[in-house]
Amino acid sequence: MIEGTATAPNLLFVRDHFSEPEVWLDNWKLRIEGHVERPYEFGFADLVEMPSRKIEAVLECAGNAANGSAVSNGLWEGVPMASLLEAARPASDAAHVLLEGADSGRLMEDGPPLPYSQVVPIETCQEASSLVAFKYNDLTLPRRNGFPARALFPGCYGMNSVKWLRRIAVLRAGEQDTIFDRSGMNRLYNRVRSRSDREQITRVSTIQVKSAIAWPTDGLKLPAGHYAMWGFAWSGTGAIRRLSISGDGGKQWNPGKLQSQADPRSWVRWTYEWNARPGDYVLMSRAADSSGSEQPLTRDPARKDGYELNYCLPIHCSVR
Amino acid sequence: MDMNLITACRFTAACAKFRIATMLAAAFVFCTISLATDCATGLSDQEKITRFKQLDGEAESAMQQHRPAEAVRLYQDAVCLVPNSARGYYGLGVAEAAAGDFLKARESLRTADRMQPTTGMPLLMQVRVNFSLGDIDTLKSNLREVADRFPHDAQLHTTLARFLAERNLFVVALAEAMRARQDSSDWNSSVQLAVLENTIGAYEDAIRNALAVEQNPAIPQQVRGAAAGVAGLSYESLHQTQQAVQYLNEAIELDGSQDNSYLALADLFDQEQRYQDAVNVLKQARTRVPDSSTVQLALGADLIRAEHYKEGLALLRELLQQAPDTPEAYISIADAARKTGDAAQEVLALNELERHKPDYPMIHVLLARAMLNQQPPEYSKILDELSIAARNTPNDPDVYFLRGKIYVALGRYEQALPALQRSIELRPTEPSAYYQLARVYQKLGRTDLAKQQFERVKYLESANSK
Repeated sequence: MIEGTATAPNLLFVRDHFSEPEVWLDNWKLRIEGHVERPYEFGFADLVEMPSRKIEAVLECAGNAANGSAVSNGLWEGVPMASLLEAARPASDAAHVLLEGADSGRLMEDGPPLPYSQVVPIETCQEASSLVAFKYNDLTLPRRNGFPARALFPGCYGMNSVKWLRRIAVLRAGEQDTIFDRSGMNRLYNRVRSRSDREQITRVSTIQVKSAIAWPTDGLKLPAGHYAMWGFAWSGTGAIRRLSISGDGGKQWNPGKLQSQADPRSWVRWTYEWNARPGDYVLMSRAADSSGSEQPLTRDPARKDGYELNYCLPIHCSVR
Repeated sequence: MDMNLITACRFTAACAKFRIATMLAAAFVFCTISLATDCATGLSDQEKITRFKQLDGEAESAMQQHRPAEAVRLYQDAVCLVPNSARGYYGLGVAEAAAGDFLKARESLRTADRMQPTTGMPLLMQVRVNFSLGDIDTLKSNLREVADRFPHDAQLHTTLARFLAERNLFVVALAEAMRARQDSSDWNSSVQLAVLENTIGAYEDAIRNALAVEQNPAIPQQVRGAAAGVAGLSYESLHQTQQAVQYLNEAIELDGSQDNSYLALADLFDQEQRYQDAVNVLKQARTRVPDSSTVQLALGADLIRAEHYKEGLALLRELLQQAPDTPEAYISIADAARKTGDAAQEVLALNELERHKPDYPMIHVLLARAMLNQQPPEYSKILDELSIAARNTPNDPDVYFLRGKIYVALGRYEQALPALQRSIELRPTEPSAYYQLARVYQKLGRTDLAKQQFERVKYLESANSK
């Protein structure tokens, strides 16, 4: 069980494309280069002695199932990516940033083994909350979660928050043939919608509004009584404003109680006082955020990809 | 004592510890002195220098005698006489910090640094001052400046690492320890680095650095022992128990004079409920480190866990004679009494605990539970304990469950009802509360409700067993 709102470091979710690289504190370097005036590199000691900030933020895998465990929330500390980029003086036509990890492998059978990488708009990197993070819940990052430093883009799905970060390369608009394209990473993390005559493909980025019931768990049997149902809700498009609970699979909804939210990009704990009378229940939670986005009741049938699975998931529970 | 005074005391202690006066003499020379004309009119240049030295000596003496305000006045006079003396401004900054005026101290130290940028002392003191001001960004900026200007001064980085670690700024302490290690062949700096890596969760790095020391036979055994201990702790954090045991044993073999390796190993055995193994380790510790009260307490508790009650109790009672404010000892004594069915002794031990630590967590629930086992139980006193417990921890289901049980025993069923209902509300999955509630309904003649509760007990037990 998660006490409070922070996921313990040993429970921080792990999703990798390649195996964990061997990185040590004393040989780790981060290089900032590409279309910049002053490329430079630095080590861990330099990083942690730069001005840093702490942000409580949720991190979710883009392919996290509706009831999936590939989501965590905690207090991250890192150096704002904006200040690291500014020191390198990006060219005026800089448009994107390629982030490269120390892990590498082959994404396509016929492709070359290349490092994990992602390309992110430079404006996203320049947001105050975008960090090169080196601490999680006041400890160094767990090794499998990107030790000693990773990118962190609160509000965005986890694939952009490149782990074991070792290179940041500033790109011009339209610049191609990067390791991102050559590795085949550009074919992943895309939203694919089937239209009548074609497929519409767009890049997945912002975390969609979502909630989960932590208790009761699916299939639980309970004696009748008063219970505090609880769970979490989160969104990358705004602060959570409303959480509703249904006991009948989504026909009727009652308001849940939201606890305080440390940051709009963190998850919020919710509770619901449930007077459970004997019967069989199909419990559902549904969140809505300050941008007006609300969790869909079902998966969009036009979607062909396996990302953004934020529809309301039924939890079955019997009370006697 | 207010905050400023605490920090001032800390500074005074720090000044004494790091022998600021000695360092002043070593670090700052009377160089390029320009003399002021408005402080001591009528004095010749030579007389001003003589007067400056006199003021400097008096100020140092005032610092050593913990009179920082006087030292500030003396240094102010000194820098007025010789306004470009780095030594004077450094002394003034140290004295102002000791007097608790951190903002002025920072300015004086910055001035000293500008005047004599070839020594790291003003920057080191600025780190201390900025810590006291809570200005971590400026502290980090000082550290970056130290790294830029004194990249190979291992001693300076080691001093900074120690200072930052003592203030729980572990990650920046680690950064300084890394910088120190780059230019130092001192194995102690490798152990310091490993300790910090272990502290901040970089366990694999800690193991790698610690084992490099532990496996080098040319290094003194004591240092290798400390390194083995760090490796053991890091392995424990990684849940690699076998290696943890191996290296903690290695630490004991290499340097048996440190109680922490024995304690860590015993703790590890406790987690695995290997109490006799823990006892054996701690007995070994008692022979090697006989004065350690921590070992005595741990051994007493483990003897009781391993059911060697007589020996454990004797050890704990001996400890309490010397250190009566040791709550864990009372808890272990109470534990022994409960296991041996001596409820009166259990209550006595907990009463003693309450006397010494009235705010000990859950003490009133522990007392109530122990008193319930006494024959005959004194129900009114137990209810009094539970009333205090309910005030202290109003959401503890045990408080209401025990209260309900007592009302049942007293035949006060109407009063038992709300207590048990509250207990169920706070912990709805505990069958024993439903069982007591069923008994209450039975006694009140509400058989339908009693039957419902008994069914819930059955249902819950079957659900739990699945």
